[in-house]
Amino acid sequence: MNHRSLSRAGAFAALLLAATATHAATAWTTDAAQSRLEFTATLAGGDFDGAFRRFKADIEFDPADLEGSRFRVEIDTASADTGDADRDLALKGADFFAVERWPGARFSADRFVALGNGRFEALGQLTIRDNSREVRLPFSFKPVADGTRAGLAGGTTIRRLDYGVGQGEWQDTQWLGDEIRIRFTLQLQRQKTTSP
Amino acid sequence: MQLRNTADTYGALAKFLHWTIVILIIAQYVIIEAAEELPDGLEKLTMITRHKSIGILVLGLALVRIAWKLVNKGQPAPVPMPRPQRIAAAAGHGLLYLLILAQPISGWMMSSAANYPVTFFGWFQLPALVGANEAMHEFYEEVHEFLFTALLVVTVVHVLAALYHHFLRKDDTLRRMLPFGRRRAA
Repeated sequence: MNHRSLSRAGAFAALLLAATATHAATAWTTDAAQSRLEFTATLAGGDFDGAFRRFKADIEFDPADLEGSRFRVEIDTASADTGDADRDLALKGADFFAVERWPGARFSADRFVALGNGRFEALGQLTIRDNSREVRLPFSFKPVADGTRAGLAGGTTIRRLDYGVGQGEWQDTQWLGDEIRIRFTLQLQRQKTTSP
Repeated sequence: MQLRNTADTYGALAKFLHWTIVILIIAQYVIIEAAEELPDGLEKLTMITRHKSIGILVLGLALVRIAWKLVNKGQPAPVPMPRPQRIAAAAGHGLLYLLILAQPISGWMMSSAANYPVTFFGWFQLPALVGANEAMHEFYEEVHEFLFTALLVVTVVHVLAALYHHFLRKDDTLRRMLPFGRRRAA
């Protein structure tokens, strides 16, 4: 490679970096071991909790750059853990998450509103099975350690039948309630950016 | 028929509690055996949920029954019988009370260990007795089944003893707990 093409490649790389830098707010790595995605459902008038053991959260968020912020969350629905093997198996089945057809649920948000006091609201699309719905997700963002780390926590309530979670007899909400409360806590580590 | 026990017979409340608990425990067995036959699904879930609510009802009624027994201190007086027999009867009754309390509690623990809520007919939720733990769930399930067998054995002895009193000793032991039992004319 001669000198000219090398500098051209360098200029292109710099351009690319600049383009990414202007596009995205601060990118964060989610510490999976310290992060949780949980839900509470109602069975015959009583609550029980569960959690998704595997999910991937790509978070680009900067309170000073809400325009450039975005969430991309992929949830492995087969990792739903409710503490009972029979129930977990049922959740993977065709009547609920149907993990063989739709192995993942997605949440994707590009619009953010500041609510003040470190609180925000993400407006995005939640997709479970083949159904998408607009979801407003309030959350708090707390940077720590000079902004190198941050905690992101929030939750919302969705209706499982909006997403077809519960087919056939499970559309009956007398025994398995329609409303599902979701909450999450993410521990974020700021991604190292190579300055141009 | 009066509510409280008297010196020689059980009152209406003690009889009501005794026989209601008998009927509920039989229903519990029928419900859970039928549920076990069903494939996993809403119908099975519904039946198990009813079984749990009725179990909590039995627990509550058993506590009321024990409290009522304490209120009616010593009444009715034991039918005259030899001391060893009286001790055996007291021990048998104590064991019955213990098993009737332990049975729903073990079921409640079983549900808690499996992270299933226990409610009273959906009116209110009872707190989890133990943390979610699948291995412990299996253990409490064994305990729940063992206690049922123990309850069945002690109940058979209880029934045989009552029949022995009624037909062989011809005393009022059974009669005074029967819903519309009349005392034998003295």
